[in-house]
Amino acid sequence: MASFSQLARQLGCSRPLLKPQPLIQSQISSRSITSAYSPKPEHAPFPTKIPEQFLSQIPDRFKPRIQKRMKIYPPPPSARAACKDPITTVKESQLAVLDPTGERGTLFDYRRNPRSVRVGDILRVVFKNGDPFSGVCLSIKLCGIDTSFLLRNELTRVGVEMMVKVYSPNVQSVEIVQRTQKRKRRARLYYMRKPKHDMRSVENVVSNYLRQQSALTGQRPSSGKKR
Amino acid sequence: MIQLKSMLNCIDNSGAAVVECVQVLKKKRPATVGDRIVIVVQKQRSFGPDSANNSGIANKVRRGDIRHAVVVRVKKEMQRADGSLVKFDDNACVLINKSGDPIGTRMNGVVATELRARQWSKILSLAPMHV
Amino acid sequence: MPPRLPKKLAQLPFSLGALAPQLITPTPVSIRTFGIRSLNPPKNSPYNAGPDLPVLKSTPAAALERKANTLPLRTGALAVKKGMTAIFDPESGKRIPCTVLQLDRVQVVAHKTIAVHGYNAVQIGAGWKHPTNVRKSLLGHFSGQGVSAKRHVFEFRVKDESGLLPVGELVHADWFQEGQFVDARSNTKGKGFAGVMKRHGFHGQDRSHGVSLTHRSLGSAGPSQGGGSRVYPGKKMAGNMGNEQNTVQNLKVLKVDRENGLVLVHGAVSGPKGCIIRIQDAIKKPWPTIVEPTEATQATEASA
Repeated sequence: MASFSQLARQLGCSRPLLKPQPLIQSQISSRSITSAYSPKPEHAPFPTKIPEQFLSQIPDRFKPRIQKRMKIYPPPPSARAACKDPITTVKESQLAVLDPTGERGTLFDYRRNPRSVRVGDILRVVFKNGDPFSGVCLSIKLCGIDTSFLLRNELTRVGVEMMVKVYSPNVQSVEIVQRTQKRKRRARLYYMRKPKHDMRSVENVVSNYLRQQSALTGQRPSSGKKR
Repeated sequence: MIQLKSMLNCIDNSGAAVVECVQVLKKKRPATVGDRIVIVVQKQRSFGPDSANNSGIANKVRRGDIRHAVVVRVKKEMQRADGSLVKFDDNACVLINKSGDPIGTRMNGVVATELRARQWSKILSLAPMHV
Repeated sequence: MPPRLPKKLAQLPFSLGALAPQLITPTPVSIRTFGIRSLNPPKNSPYNAGPDLPVLKSTPAAALERKANTLPLRTGALAVKKGMTAIFDPESGKRIPCTVLQLDRVQVVAHKTIAVHGYNAVQIGAGWKHPTNVRKSLLGHFSGQGVSAKRHVFEFRVKDESGLLPVGELVHADWFQEGQFVDARSNTKGKGFAGVMKRHGFHGQDRSHGVSLTHRSLGSAGPSQGGGSRVYPGKKMAGNMGNEQNTVQNLKVLKVDRENGLVLVHGAVSGPKGCIIRIQDAIKKPWPTIVEPTEATQATEASA
């Protein structure tokens, strides 16, 4: 008895299969999910002959569409395309007047020109009004038309610094008095302002240089540009 | 950038060595080169033992005197018309009297050229050097 | 106790209220038939009264007449800020800081006239936008006037009809003359949501002395019960800073380049690089004497 009931329980899952299948189920399986097909209604052509008073009553969306193409006008020639980088354009037009040979630019372009001025060099600047200023070059800022260099010197035992614009029309000439002994490992030598590293006065070096120059040329030191 | 309590060097032979700014005249901002300020003498120069003899190099001002002065050097950089910058390592001034003439007769030290534009040509001509 | 009336008023009969408007305003004033109206008749100011004072008219025509002196005679132009640089004057050796502005396809799009719109203005467009990215209504506006689709469109008010440049006319950089003065109008750089210290320069509060968590906030937003227990309108508070219109007046035009559409103005102009700038003749300087630029340029174009 016990063994039969166990068997019956195991086979219990197959009991629905043994039942007689009802007829309705076949009908369900044959039914499609889609609804009944009906053809798309044919677009009725707009009647050609309609009295005027009827036509005005028909809403716009039912009237035949008149394809009205908007005329698109082409843009005028662009100044922006002609001049993509106006700042450079302005810079170059300035340099054509201030530095026509490009000599000043290359003298300070330490990124490209290996013979350019380096930080640590001793420079002598002569201005248009005749005033000279000499000192150690502490930094060079490459900044387009505003490219400048910083000179430091000690005059009458007071430190003086001057930031000079390379392309300034007031600058008559720039001379390299003495190259730096050893390549500086910094781009900006601001540590030379500290008393420990301060070079103090460079007037002796400059006066020696001027004496040599005058001996070479046999005349007073000229204020022309030297490399 | 000279303002109240700023200490300046005095670079003339009036007898003052270090002065303190107590007022900036004619402007509501810190003073720069060429500005007139009111100062108090904090330290006076000692010209040795013969300063007591009341000779020619006697101090014209004493410690604690309140005087007018013109700033001739500043640490704060000044911009010139062509965009160049100039700065000095100290702040310095020259003592003047109420009418604007320098008290001292000599000056030792470089001064800024901006003094000429500010109508202080007399001080500029006394200076041994200008930048 | 009811509020006491002045003696004169107390003696008068109550018909005063009905009489008063007729006495004060002898001329018939059109009264609106809609909206909220005051029941009280308009009061005459006791201070700004006199027999020889001009009567301020509130008509549009009178407003235009008052504005006539400060309206430029000709239109301005739209430009893009390209950045700042400096130019050196070779004679004097001076360095002049300047802003580079570029005029790109600046064209007159439409007119606003007194007869139709109540004021005279020139609608100016600049740049170019692909027509597929322009809304059809706006594209129709451009096409109707016979101009291409524009990226930026602004209006420039002018004094009278003589300042209305024909529609479709291009405004080149030489519309401005070297040496003349212009006003530059643009939006400032946006700073985002800023606190009161940055936005209005408030001092903030102490670092310590019992202050907790409110070191950079404002102190009080207003009085308490005596003041109405409310925050008054216009109270300075934290909020969006920048990105608001600013006009820089009287900028000198240093250089003009017609081919590249460049205008160099002295000094700074509000806004970041690439922002749109409206430049027009300065209203606080005499109007520039207009030299016909078209004839000269036509001659050069013909020769070239």
